[in-house]
Amino acid sequence: MKSPNPSDNQSDPIVFCGSALLVVLIILVAHYSYETRLKFMAPTSQVLLKESSNVRTIILNRPKQLNALSLEMVSRLLELFHAYEEDPNVKLIIMKGEGRAFCAGGDVAAVVHDINKGSWKLGAKFFSIEFTLNYLMATYAKPQVSLLRGIVMGGGAGVSVHGRFRVATDNSVFAMPETELGLFPDVGASYYLSRLPGFFGEYVGLTCARLDGAEMLACGLATHFVPLEKLHLLEDALCKANTGDQKIICSIINEFSGAPKLKEKSQYFRLKTINRCFSQRTVEDIISAIEKEASKNMDDWISWTIKSLKKASPTSLKISLRSIREGRLQGVGQCLIREYRMVCTVMRGEFSRDFFEGCRALLLDKDKNPKWEPSKLELVSDHMVDQYFVALDDEDWEDLKLPARSNLPSHAIAKL
Amino acid sequence: MTSLISHRPITTDFSSSSLDRFKPSSIDHPSSSSSSSMDRVNFRTQVLTRHLQNHHNTATDLIQTAPCVNYSPPELSEPPADFDTKSLRKLLDGQSIDVIDYTFNLMMQSNLFCPRERGGKVFISPDFNQSMEQQREMTMKRIDYLRGLGSFDGWFSKKGTDGELWRFALAETVSVFDHSLGIKLGVHFFLWGGAIRFMGTKRHHDKWFKPTETFEVKGCFAMTELGHGSNVRGIETITRYDARTQEFIISTPCESAQKYWIGGAANHATHTVVFSQLEINGVNQGVHAFIAQIRDTDGNICPNVRIADCGHKIGLNGVDNGRIWFDDLRIPRENLLNSVADVSPDGQYLTAIKDPDQRFAAFLAPLTSGRVTIAASSMNTAKIGLATAIRYSLSRRAFSIRPNEPEVLLLDYPSHQRRLLPLLAKTYALSFASNYLKMIYVNRTPESIKTVHVVSSALKAVLTWHNMRTLQECREACGGQGLKTENHVGHLKSEYDVQLTFEGDNNVLMQQISKALLAEFLAAKKRNKPIKGLGLEHLNKPAPIIPSQLTSSTLRTTQFQTDIFCLRERDLLHRFVKEVSEHQALGESKEHIFTVTYQLAEDLGRAFSDCLILQTFLDVEATIPAGSLKNVLGLMRSMYTTILIEEDGSFLRYGYLSTDNAAVVRKEVMKLCSEMRPYALSLVSSFGIPDAFLAPIAFNWVDANSWSSV
Repeated sequence: MKSPNPSDNQSDPIVFCGSALLVVLIILVAHYSYETRLKFMAPTSQVLLKESSNVRTIILNRPKQLNALSLEMVSRLLELFHAYEEDPNVKLIIMKGEGRAFCAGGDVAAVVHDINKGSWKLGAKFFSIEFTLNYLMATYAKPQVSLLRGIVMGGGAGVSVHGRFRVATDNSVFAMPETELGLFPDVGASYYLSRLPGFFGEYVGLTCARLDGAEMLACGLATHFVPLEKLHLLEDALCKANTGDQKIICSIINEFSGAPKLKEKSQYFRLKTINRCFSQRTVEDIISAIEKEASKNMDDWISWTIKSLKKASPTSLKISLRSIREGRLQGVGQCLIREYRMVCTVMRGEFSRDFFEGCRALLLDKDKNPKWEPSKLELVSDHMVDQYFVALDDEDWEDLKLPARSNLPSHAIAKL
Repeated sequence: MTSLISHRPITTDFSSSSLDRFKPSSIDHPSSSSSSSMDRVNFRTQVLTRHLQNHHNTATDLIQTAPCVNYSPPELSEPPADFDTKSLRKLLDGQSIDVIDYTFNLMMQSNLFCPRERGGKVFISPDFNQSMEQQREMTMKRIDYLRGLGSFDGWFSKKGTDGELWRFALAETVSVFDHSLGIKLGVHFFLWGGAIRFMGTKRHHDKWFKPTETFEVKGCFAMTELGHGSNVRGIETITRYDARTQEFIISTPCESAQKYWIGGAANHATHTVVFSQLEINGVNQGVHAFIAQIRDTDGNICPNVRIADCGHKIGLNGVDNGRIWFDDLRIPRENLLNSVADVSPDGQYLTAIKDPDQRFAAFLAPLTSGRVTIAASSMNTAKIGLATAIRYSLSRRAFSIRPNEPEVLLLDYPSHQRRLLPLLAKTYALSFASNYLKMIYVNRTPESIKTVHVVSSALKAVLTWHNMRTLQECREACGGQGLKTENHVGHLKSEYDVQLTFEGDNNVLMQQISKALLAEFLAAKKRNKPIKGLGLEHLNKPAPIIPSQLTSSTLRTTQFQTDIFCLRERDLLHRFVKEVSEHQALGESKEHIFTVTYQLAEDLGRAFSDCLILQTFLDVEATIPAGSLKNVLGLMRSMYTTILIEEDGSFLRYGYLSTDNAAVVRKEVMKLCSEMRPYALSLVSSFGIPDAFLAPIAFNWVDANSWSSV
C-alpha cells in the first residue's frame, strides 16, 4: 500500500490515491464467488460483539475483504443499533474492524453481481438498509466511538463519521473513492463532506483523495487522534469507565490523544488553492481553475489532482458535485433520501452505465481502463444530471423512508 | 423578561376540539361556542380556586404535569407536505435557483461570514456587535472573498435574459446574509456600473467596465443632496464647462448642495457618478451625470474634494455612507455620461432628446433596476421573518387549555394564526408580483418603459411596506426572543427600514402611480379610444356587479375576487379624475391639485397595485396542473384577497362592501387561517432559505440557550 501523502508518490502519482481502492476491490473479487459468499453468510461471524457491562463493542469481521459491508452486515448493524437504542443497559457503542482495516466500504461487487443476476432493485435493498443505518447513527442519542485503524472508505466512512467520536490513528487512510468507480460519494457523504472547511469536501469527493489520520483530524472528519499503540488502552479505558456521558468519554479519549503534525507536503496545506478551485460552480470551471493554477505553478499535487479528475467518470463528477452542493443546504435525512434516489438511478443505468463499467474495469477485467459513457464532461447535460435528483418513475419504487426520530438532543444531530 | 412573553388567550374562543388543527371547521362551529365558553369559565374558576386554596398542591401539580419543556422539531409533529415543495420553490426562484443556491454555498463556507454553532446547528450572520468601522471592513472583505472566487466575473459581459437574471439573483442572495453586503454590491454594480452602462457610451464602457468588475475601481453614486432627495431635478450641485482646457468644473455652491447618504463614499469608493445641473453658456440644461475620481489608489481623498461620514445609522452600518463637497473640481470633458446629451469640445450643448422631461426620464433608468432588487430582497427578508416566526410558533407552547394537559403550540391559537398566516399568503402573492416585475424589466422595450416605471414604483412601495409590517408582526410573535439580534426578525427591521425611502420615497411613488393612471385615462379619452395598458383594460367593460350577499364560497371564486378588485380600481380612478377636474375648473395649478388630492391618490395607488398582484397570482396558478399544489395556491390567493378586503378601509369607505358583508369577510379570514394552518411548515420550507441563514429560535432554541452553551 502506498503512503497517503502525495509527496511520497512522485514516482507514481497516478495511483497514490486510487491504489487503496484497487487493493480493496481486487481482494473483493478474489473472494467473490458463490461459495465464499456462503461461507460468510453466518450473521454472527461477519459482525462480532463484545459486551462489557454497559459498553458494546461492535467488530466488523470480514478481514479478508477489509471488512467490506455485506447485506448481512448492514442488516445486522441496523438491528443492533435499533436494539441498543432501546436497551437502557447500553450506554456506549464502540465500533472497530478486525484485522488491518476499519472498513473498506460497501460490498459493491456483490451489489453489481446481484444486479447482473436479477434486478437493480436487489441493489436498492442493500442501499436502503445501509442509508437507514447511516441515518440512525447520525441521529443516535447514545455515543458511538469508532476506532479508525487502517482503511476507512466509502461505506466505512458512513458507519463511523456520522457517530459522535471518530478516533483516527497513525495508519488511518480515509477516502470517498466512488467517482473512480462510476458512482458518487453516498452514505450521507453529501452531508458530511459539505460541512468540511471551505471546499475541501468537494475536493475529497471529486478527486477521491486519500487523507491520513492527521488530515482527518485537521479537517474534522476525525474528532481525535490516538497513536496506534495506545488504541487498545483507550478501548480498555472506555470499557472500564462504563459511561455514556459525552464529556467523560471525551476527556478519556483526550487522555490518550496526541497532536499529530500534518506532513510537510500535506494536501491540507493547499486549502487556499482548493478553495479557489473547488468553489467553482461547475466541474468544468473547477478543472479550468486548476489548470490555471497549473500554468502558474505546476507541481505534483496539482498534476495529480488534474489527472484524478480526468480519470473519473464525467457523469459521476457532475452528480457528485451537485450532490455535495445540495447537501450543504440540507439536513442529513434529506441528504440520504436524495442520495437514495441517486444511487437507484445509477443502478437502473438508464442515463449512464458507468457504475457497471467502473466495476468491470476495476474489479472484473482489471484493465483499469474504464470507457465512460458519456465520455466527456460536456456531453453530460444539465438535463441528464437533473434525472438523478428526482423520484424514479417506477411503479414499485419509493423514496427512502427514514425511521421517525423524536426528542433528540442537538448533539445527536450535529456532529460535524 | 417574563412580562414580554406573557399573553393570555383570554379573548380567544376555544372549544376543546378546536385545538385539533385537523378539524378546523369546529373553530367556528356555532353550537360549540357556548359550551366552550362554559369550559373556559369553569377552567378559570378552577384555576383560581386552586390558586387561592392550596398553594402547596399547585406546586406539586406543576412538578408532575409540567416536566421540562423539550424542543421537538416541527418536522416530527407537522403533517408532511401534500404538495411538492420543490415545485413551489421553483415558482418563487424560477431559473435562478442554481445561482441562488450556489451563492448560499459560497457564503456558508467562509469564516468571513461568521459561522456560529447554536443549538446543534451552524448559523451565519454578521457580527452586529462590531463597531461601525469594523462592520464596514467586514463588508468589503466579504465582497473581496466573493470577487476572489470569480463570483462577479462577467458582470458586464453576460447578456440577455440569463445575464440580467443572474445579476439580480446574485445581488438578492447576498442580501439574505446581510443587507449591507447587498447594498454595497448594489451601489457599486447597479448604480455606479448601471450609470456607466445606461448613461455612458462606448468610451465609458471600454474604460470603466473592466476595472469595475475587478474592484480596482470602487464606484459610488452621488445623486441625493442634503436639500434634495426625491426631487432630483431640484439638486443644486452645478457644473460648468471650460472650453479652454476642455474640462468640466463641478461645484457645491452651498451646504444644502452637499451630496448626502452616498453609499461607499465615506471609506472605500475611488470614483463616483455625480448628478449635477449642467450650465452651458449661462443656460441651465438640467440634470446630467459625470464621472469624478474622489480617491487615489492609496485611498487618499483627491484635491478639491471634501468627504465626511454620515455616521452611525439605525441599520446598514456595514455600508459607509458619506457626504461629498466639490470645490470646483475639474474633470475631463469625456467624463460626461453622454448617452442622451453631450458637450462638444468648443462648448456647444448637443442632444438628440429635445424635451427636458424625456431627457430626465432617461437619466433615471439605472434607478429602475435598483427598485427591482429592492422589491425582491424585501420579499426574501419577509421570508426569513416568517420562516423564523412560524417555525418558532410550531415548537413553542404557552398555556394549557385544561389542567394537566400539555401547553398549546402558539400556532394552534387562532389568534396567532391570524397574525402570521395572512402575511404568509401575502408574501407568496407579492413574491409572484416581484417575479413579474423582474420579467417585464428584463424584457423591456422602449414602448414598455412607462409600464416598467409605474409597476416598479408600485411594487417597490407595496412590497417594502409589507416587509416592514411582516417583520414587526414576526418580532412580536416571537415574544422576547424576537428582540435578540441573533434571532434576526427584530433586527432586520432596522436593516431594511431604509427600503421605504431610498430609490424613491414610498408615499411619493404611490402618488406618482395615480398621476400616471390619470394621464393614461385622459389620453385615451382624448383619443376617444378604449384604454389600453397598465392592466386598465377592464375599464372598457361595464362595471362588475358584486353580489349583495356574500358567502364563503363566493369569496373564494376568482370571479368575485377579480371583480371587487377591478371595481375598486375603476371607481377610485373615476373619482380621482372627477376630483382633479373639479379643482381644475376652479383654475388651480396642477401641482397644487396633486398636493390636495393625496387621499384618493394613495387609495388608487393601492388599488392599482392590488389588481396587478392578483393578476400575477392568477397567471402563476394558470401554469400549474390541477392537484395539491394548485389547491394550496388557490387557498393562499383567497387568503390574499380576503385579508385585503378586510384590512383595507377603502372597501367599506367607498361602499364596495356592505357592513354585513364585512362581517362575512371577517369570519372567512378565520376559516382561511385554520385551513392554511396544516400547510404552514411546508409553505415556509418552500421558501428555500437554508437553515444557516435563519435563526436559533427557528430550531432547537432550548439547546441554543442551555447552560452548557454559555
